[in-house]
Amino acid sequence: MAEEHALAHPTPRQYAQIAILLAFLTAIEVSLYYLEQSIDAFTTSVSAPLLILLAVMKFVIVVGWFMHLRFEKSLVSKFFTTGFVAAIVLYVAVLFALGAIVLT
Amino acid sequence: MATTASRSGARTIFRRPDSNTGFWGWITTADHKKIGIMYGYTAFIFFILGGLEALLLRIQLSQPDNVFLSASEYNAMFTMHGTTMIFLFVMPVSAAFFNYLLPLMIGARDVAFPRMNAVSYWIFVFGGIFLYSSFVFGTTGPPVGGNLAETASRLGSGPNGGWFGYAPNSGLRFSSGTVMDYWSIGLQILGLASLISSINFIVTVFNMRAKGMKLLRMPVFVWMTTVVAFLLLFSLPIIAVALFMITFDRNVGTLFFDPSMGGDPILWQHFFWLFGHPEVYILILPAMGIVSEVLPTFSRKPLFGYPAVVFAGAAIGFMGFGVWAHHMFASGVTPITQAAFGLSTMAIAIPTGIKIFNWIGTIWGGKIKLNTPMLFSLGFVGMFVIGGLSGVTHSIVPADWQQTDTYYIVAHFHYVLFGGAIFGLFSGLYYWFPKLTGRMYSEALGKLHFWVFFVGFNLTFGPMHWLGLNGMVRRTWVYAEETGLGPWNMAVTVGAFIIALGVLIFMINWTWSKRNGPIAPFDPWDARTLEWTLPSPTPEYNFAVNPVITSLDDFWHKKYSEDADGRPVRRPEATALLAEYEEVGLNPPEPIHLPNPSYYPFLVGAGMPMVGYGLIYDNTAWGIPLLLLGAVTIVGSFIGWGVEPLEEPHADHHSDEPGHEHPGTDGEGS
Amino acid sequence: MSDVAHADGHHDVHEGTGIDNRKLGMWVFLSSEFMFFGALISNYMLFKGRDYSAFMPTGQSVLLPRGLYDIPFTSVSSFVLLMSSLTMVLAHDALVSGDQNRTRVWLAATGMLGSVFIGGQVFEFTEFVQQGMTISSNPAASAFFMLTGFHGAHVFFGILMLLSLYGISKRQGGLTEVQGLNVELVGLYWHFVDIIWIVIFTIVYLIP
Repeated sequence: MAEEHALAHPTPRQYAQIAILLAFLTAIEVSLYYLEQSIDAFTTSVSAPLLILLAVMKFVIVVGWFMHLRFEKSLVSKFFTTGFVAAIVLYVAVLFALGAIVLT
Repeated sequence: MATTASRSGARTIFRRPDSNTGFWGWITTADHKKIGIMYGYTAFIFFILGGLEALLLRIQLSQPDNVFLSASEYNAMFTMHGTTMIFLFVMPVSAAFFNYLLPLMIGARDVAFPRMNAVSYWIFVFGGIFLYSSFVFGTTGPPVGGNLAETASRLGSGPNGGWFGYAPNSGLRFSSGTVMDYWSIGLQILGLASLISSINFIVTVFNMRAKGMKLLRMPVFVWMTTVVAFLLLFSLPIIAVALFMITFDRNVGTLFFDPSMGGDPILWQHFFWLFGHPEVYILILPAMGIVSEVLPTFSRKPLFGYPAVVFAGAAIGFMGFGVWAHHMFASGVTPITQAAFGLSTMAIAIPTGIKIFNWIGTIWGGKIKLNTPMLFSLGFVGMFVIGGLSGVTHSIVPADWQQTDTYYIVAHFHYVLFGGAIFGLFSGLYYWFPKLTGRMYSEALGKLHFWVFFVGFNLTFGPMHWLGLNGMVRRTWVYAEETGLGPWNMAVTVGAFIIALGVLIFMINWTWSKRNGPIAPFDPWDARTLEWTLPSPTPEYNFAVNPVITSLDDFWHKKYSEDADGRPVRRPEATALLAEYEEVGLNPPEPIHLPNPSYYPFLVGAGMPMVGYGLIYDNTAWGIPLLLLGAVTIVGSFIGWGVEPLEEPHADHHSDEPGHEHPGTDGEGS
Repeated sequence: MSDVAHADGHHDVHEGTGIDNRKLGMWVFLSSEFMFFGALISNYMLFKGRDYSAFMPTGQSVLLPRGLYDIPFTSVSSFVLLMSSLTMVLAHDALVSGDQNRTRVWLAATGMLGSVFIGGQVFEFTEFVQQGMTISSNPAASAFFMLTGFHGAHVFFGILMLLSLYGISKRQGGLTEVQGLNVELVGLYWHFVDIIWIVIFTIVYLIP
């Protein structure tokens, strides 16, 4: 239990700051969408990786701070990461086998 | 239990049940041992049903051009035989072992969530009843373009799309009646039960072990339970989505699997086998765990290479998620997919082979006692090797194309699931019979059962190999006399009836020995795991004193030391130690608090079929009300449960603790 | 977690993880939910890019979800759900610091924001159906409705749990220590539903 207290939980003020950050990231996401829609040079192959990166950042922030995963024992992270990684690997394989993802 | 009458649990919807015995004691119990026993008996009833279905199939196939069953009856029989044996027998009987043994083997007094455990059981029971109620209420509409114009008889009104429910055959276009709704919703309910129990077992293993029971000191059976729980945890959500998709296709108008509207039936195969192949290991790993306990005990040696067996089990579980497409080589998957899954299918044979070699290494040089559990375990190893080898042949893609949908496949998976899983499970049933009942079974009848089973099994499934390679097609209702397949089919049918005779011998042995068998000694097999340090039958509180573990096979090391050659030498103090265990086990030094019984798990289970019927008959006047009633029952039960504490306040708790008053009398009460 | 007492007093006799049973169970459950939503998302990914014109009656055009999205509207409802995670974590924080009234306020706020999100989803569905895209229009539409529908159902169950906690707290004048853990558990569930929406919002709505 001692190791958990080494990392202090955020205060309400810090939670609010995290939320503002999340809102800001969401705003960037939506702007990227409109950039992709309106500027020809800004194609999906440029916007999609950026959008995925932003989603991953939001994901990590919510999981790490709001769900306190940063402050939990590592076993919990292992379970959670296993589920997440397994889902991605398996379903990418399914989509590949079904021809929905094509290597070019 | 008269002292309990004054107690009140008035804060909830019902007065809290306070009886630990009798009918309501079983309905409301949260005791993992009672739940395990109920799982076992319920699963066995379904085993009989599934077996009768198999016998009907075999009577039909015993001669060419037979007319014993109609085609629709045959379809319903093979579908329900597979569905029953997998979801209603092997999985729940494994759950019975998990429930009864897991807490005992890790030195705990119960599972992590005792009432959730009861919920799993009741959802399973009601799910099974719901599935089988198709034979009473289900309808099979005339399929488009089929040759079954007539409406099926009651026997033919079970689900009829195969246990894999391949789309689009399971969709409305080809199954226009309600029977496949019973199948998809029934499996959904059964899956929910397994998902809940898998979470329960994982938390139990990680949080409830006795002091000193490090992960690598857990018995192999506990390890296999853990692997199975993770397989269930990650594979059941996939089949849940797939079953929702087929249910919605049939009832809501989605188009996922309808190729005439742009849907993709192959997606069903991917989702189904993405679940279905881990499912194969869900069925076999519990039996492997049992065999890994039985072989060392009856060889009087430690398990050879314990870490390797554990690691191989975990590796099988992990790789089990990466081989699903080998069920689909004939469905037009791309060459890359075929190559990749052919390789992974070969690779998964490696950890399986490691296990086989470790088992042989365990027996090697041991002082072998050929009791019934040992016979079944040895039978498991032999038959599983045959089934495993025929399984590896499927990894050769061109060969697999030839074998697909023939009796060769049927032979293969019965060698692993019957010769494997069921032999292992029967081994366990005999092995732990004394612990369960406090009595010994009849060794003569047990051995007779094994040999009848062994002969019947090989006569039934051995010939299927060459029947399949000679062109006998799977799921066929009739075959022509000119095929020349008649004689071997007759042999197979005779074998099936010999198996049935074996089951009959087992039932006689069980029911007779349970009441009249000789009283079991405290540690009848001179075993290695913690459950044998307890009186038989196990007291309600399991451990009178919380055990402390210092090594792998702790109990064995307390009884035996090794001589210079590494042979076990019984310690002089062992006999006194056993007597002490028995004495303490029956007389807990201080009061033990156990979870109180509860009505709510039963009610949650009872709500499930109501929702199911409501979904199927939502176009009738009573469909929606029934659905709402079911939902209210389930949600209401959870709310009642939420405000009901697991254990009633301890002040008035002592009086309803049967363990204090009648120690050790509650194990197998009827 | 020391802020909520261990549910049973037998902690010392076990070789455990030190994490409360119920909390560990919730994390295990959530890790399996990835497989559930993964299947739904990949189902949509498979069907969204296919061409259904061959399956349409002549003269009718294919109505795909991506042609009907109202991105400003969905962005607002995504924002609402994101902010409900903030109120949820504030409810838990208030409970840890022993302020029962503030806990109730934030629980109620979370439930309200969740309801707004559900309301937005009902509006979106109605809008799509009125424009002619129903669950039976094409497999992509089916997959869209199934994915977002199941997410909505998860939010709905979260609201039910929040309401129950609110009701219990209101009736008892506060939550006991054992019940307090439930706030954390519902919180975990709620945040999880939120991160699933983060993924859906990006993959389904923003990436064409």
